[in-house]
Amino acid sequence: MPAQLPLPSSQSGRRLFLQRLAATAAGAVLAPTLLQACKGSGSGNGNGSGELVMSTFPLYIDPDAPGAPGSVSRFRRDTGIQLRYLEDINDTRQFFARIRPQLAAGRPLVQDLMVLPSWMAQRLIGLGWLEPLPLAQVPNIRNLVPYLANPPWDPQQRYSLPWQSGIAGIAYNIKATGRELARIDDLFDPALRGRVSALLEMRDTMGLLLLADGQDISQPTWAAAQPSFARLEQARKDGQIRRFTGNDYQNDLLAGNLAACIGWSGDVAQLVLEQPDLRFVVPESGGVLWSDVMLMPKGAQHRREAAAWMNWVYEPVEAARIAAAVQYISPVVGVRQQLAKDPATAALAANELMFPDGAMQQRLHSFGPLSESEEARWEERFASITEG
Amino acid sequence: MNRIGNVLLAASSALTFALLYAPVAVTVLFSFNAPRGRFNLLWQGFTLANWRHPLGDPALTEAFLTSLALALAAALLAVLLGGLMALSLARARLRGRRVIGLLVALPLTNPEIVLATALLNLFVGIDLPRGPLTLLLSHSLFCLSYAALTLKARLAGFDPSLEQAAQDLGAPPLEAFARVTLPLLAPGLLAAGLLSFSLSFDDFVISSFMAGETVTLPLYLAGAFQREISPQVQVLTTLVLLVSAALLLLATLSGMPTLRKAVDLPRRDPFGRP
Amino acid sequence: MPASPRAEAAVRARRFWPWLLLAPGLLWLLGLYLLPLLGLVPLSLSEPLSRFGLETVFRGRLATYLEVLQAYGPILWRSFGYAASATAIGLLLAYPLAFAIRFRGGRWQPLLIGLVVLPSLTSYLVRAIAWTSLLGDNGPVLALLQSLDLTAAFNGLGLLRDGRLLNTPTAVILGLLTNQLPFLVLPLVLAMERIQPCLLEAAADLHAGAWRRFTQVVWPLSRPGLAAGILLGLIPAAGDVVNPLFLGGPNERMVANTIDNLLLVQLQAPRAAALTLVLMALVTLAVLLQLRGRGLDGLPLP
Repeated sequence: MPAQLPLPSSQSGRRLFLQRLAATAAGAVLAPTLLQACKGSGSGNGNGSGELVMSTFPLYIDPDAPGAPGSVSRFRRDTGIQLRYLEDINDTRQFFARIRPQLAAGRPLVQDLMVLPSWMAQRLIGLGWLEPLPLAQVPNIRNLVPYLANPPWDPQQRYSLPWQSGIAGIAYNIKATGRELARIDDLFDPALRGRVSALLEMRDTMGLLLLADGQDISQPTWAAAQPSFARLEQARKDGQIRRFTGNDYQNDLLAGNLAACIGWSGDVAQLVLEQPDLRFVVPESGGVLWSDVMLMPKGAQHRREAAAWMNWVYEPVEAARIAAAVQYISPVVGVRQQLAKDPATAALAANELMFPDGAMQQRLHSFGPLSESEEARWEERFASITEG
Repeated sequence: MNRIGNVLLAASSALTFALLYAPVAVTVLFSFNAPRGRFNLLWQGFTLANWRHPLGDPALTEAFLTSLALALAAALLAVLLGGLMALSLARARLRGRRVIGLLVALPLTNPEIVLATALLNLFVGIDLPRGPLTLLLSHSLFCLSYAALTLKARLAGFDPSLEQAAQDLGAPPLEAFARVTLPLLAPGLLAAGLLSFSLSFDDFVISSFMAGETVTLPLYLAGAFQREISPQVQVLTTLVLLVSAALLLLATLSGMPTLRKAVDLPRRDPFGRP
Repeated sequence: MPASPRAEAAVRARRFWPWLLLAPGLLWLLGLYLLPLLGLVPLSLSEPLSRFGLETVFRGRLATYLEVLQAYGPILWRSFGYAASATAIGLLLAYPLAFAIRFRGGRWQPLLIGLVVLPSLTSYLVRAIAWTSLLGDNGPVLALLQSLDLTAAFNGLGLLRDGRLLNTPTAVILGLLTNQLPFLVLPLVLAMERIQPCLLEAAADLHAGAWRRFTQVVWPLSRPGLAAGILLGLIPAAGDVVNPLFLGGPNERMVANTIDNLLLVQLQAPRAAALTLVLMALVTLAVLLQLRGRGLDGLPLP
């Protein structure tokens, strides 16, 4: 028999009361937050609220600065449309895996617009998972640069509208490398062992390697890619390549964990503001030119609002503001003149990475299309390298 | 034990605590950092500004609240279901007791990726979209096992004679349970609830498969490297740490059952006298 | 005396109430755990109908398992290797600490245990992010090693790779280790609770030195704690995702990363299911080895 008996009922009654109180309090806290969670991110039922929801990559628009609202805020203010701008695409393939179950079952997504690479656009068009864009309500489409109109992945310009284009090349810290880099071979320099990274974006990494191997990437073939795959695999096994990254090569460049890597032109231009020793260079053998495009998934409901957004960002003044912030290749005509007008951004108007002239355009190549079965083979081989 | 032994013991314990607290210390430190760019990973300078605006990152705050709500719901569900199971397993002489006990414990022994894959296959198969519901279902599942086992252990060390005494004094079984056992079980319920809460709050693998478009805090943090690690991340983590520490201190000082009671050992002095 | 209907009903109710209490939880476990797990078996023997669709067709294809074992056998080996290393080192640290808490802690025991558990109440993603700062090329740990001139020695031992600590097996094992520590210490403390100090005093009186006191008294009596620690430490570590992702490189990927990649990037659900079941089988083997007829009741789970 234990030495202590429970205290008289008043104390246990008090405990019961406290328990009930706690339960009620928990319920009171729980209900609204759970409702908020459900409302703010319900999936599978589309987006019934008045919000325009857009998913895109990070570092892709001018952010809010004190005293200078960014494009998203200004759009909301100018049009009154509630835009939900989600920078939640980290890796294109993982994003596809997220949306696949919905779209394959014929259900709408939360998103009304998504910004994805052109090769993903091609895949989605082929699968029939996209709505035609409401381009009739986008008069500013006349401002689209001619060389991006009616592209190979969307010959009738029905499903996609370019957001930004850019260049995959070599990003490096000149103090860390001790010299200027110019060639893909420099990434394989033993002196840089363990301080080099490559992109998980297969077409960018393999495109650059194939170009360095003298191959034509506008019509990529499996056989021609084997030496490059082998070279990459060996570098990974040797420890030459520290990591395969998405956008997060930036952290490692800033933290000094990377001396050189494959990176994107606009990202590095933005990072230079923080770390002046960073450089971006288009390799001698050529850089990979890519385009990210705006797409509308099937079942999206806010067509009018999406059209308003697309029209707004194709206004040269607004497009110039975005271009000045992200420093990628703008798809809008007239941006260069806009930038030249403002002394703060005049230097950018002469930036050959943002406005490639004829000579630079010769050095840039787009990765050609891969059939479904080819792509599966390439992806599997690439995964065997990046996943160890 | 001789002097060298004691020194080694102290040194080893100190090293272990250092390993445990190194990342925590760095996190607290960086909550006072003024980062230049979007990533609060390099020390730039001391500031209190982050602490004045702990909710300054709206996406982070939203993810935090989502995780909070989910963890509360999952913990309540787990303690309820697990408590009922524990009651049955500890008190009744069921024939399948060992098998059921094994089934309860089995999810604990699997790596999370196994549960995640199995559940994803299930929900895709029955066409249940991933979101708050699937999150709640999956979280309550793995919390259920922890809660049930914790409560079973607490109940096992329980003296049933107290409740029997109440019944002998005329109380019906349910009232005897509610007024005698339940209050004494309260610390155990709280412990199981807190354990379930923290497991759910911190869950990453299962959430990444089950969340759909919902963003819980760990999912937000996983993408943060690509996007932004605001100082608010470290501030909120430090706040959680302080609250947890306060709760732990409270639990220790208010005389919650110590380990002895949990393993059902009465206090004895070295000569075996109670 | 014939039993009254009310007494009979009471007897029947008494037989049913255990099952009534079990029912909801059992439903949860069967529906959300056992059945989905079993459902992976037919999936692993199926083939996808199209590359991007969700439908699969059952073909009874055992070859998937052979392909998976061939392609990912080394990664499985590596995963358990890393986890075992982390657990082994963890136990070397956990035993002294558990001993100190149990036999030197006195009335501070609950507080000390609380201090051991406290870090695991913070987000382990934030802790992994913190480790990347600590172990980075310009971070404090490497700076310390350099100031103590230990870099060359550690390089030789294979602990550093070309003078780097981040994105190496060492960093991954370190992360796995610190995650596991509370789950190794706690069961050991609980197990050692059953060891009365008088046993150690008696052993000392019989002229047993510190080492023999450990091997003959502490070790055998704390074995249940060891088993619990391995269950709660090694097995989750083998399936860890975050540590290899943040602290490792492509040469340090573990099996959970691979399953994730197979499912979400390569969209090969049958292969992912097969690899998951192989992992499950290995884990079950490890669990059975630990339990060996003892049953979970004998383990001091916290």
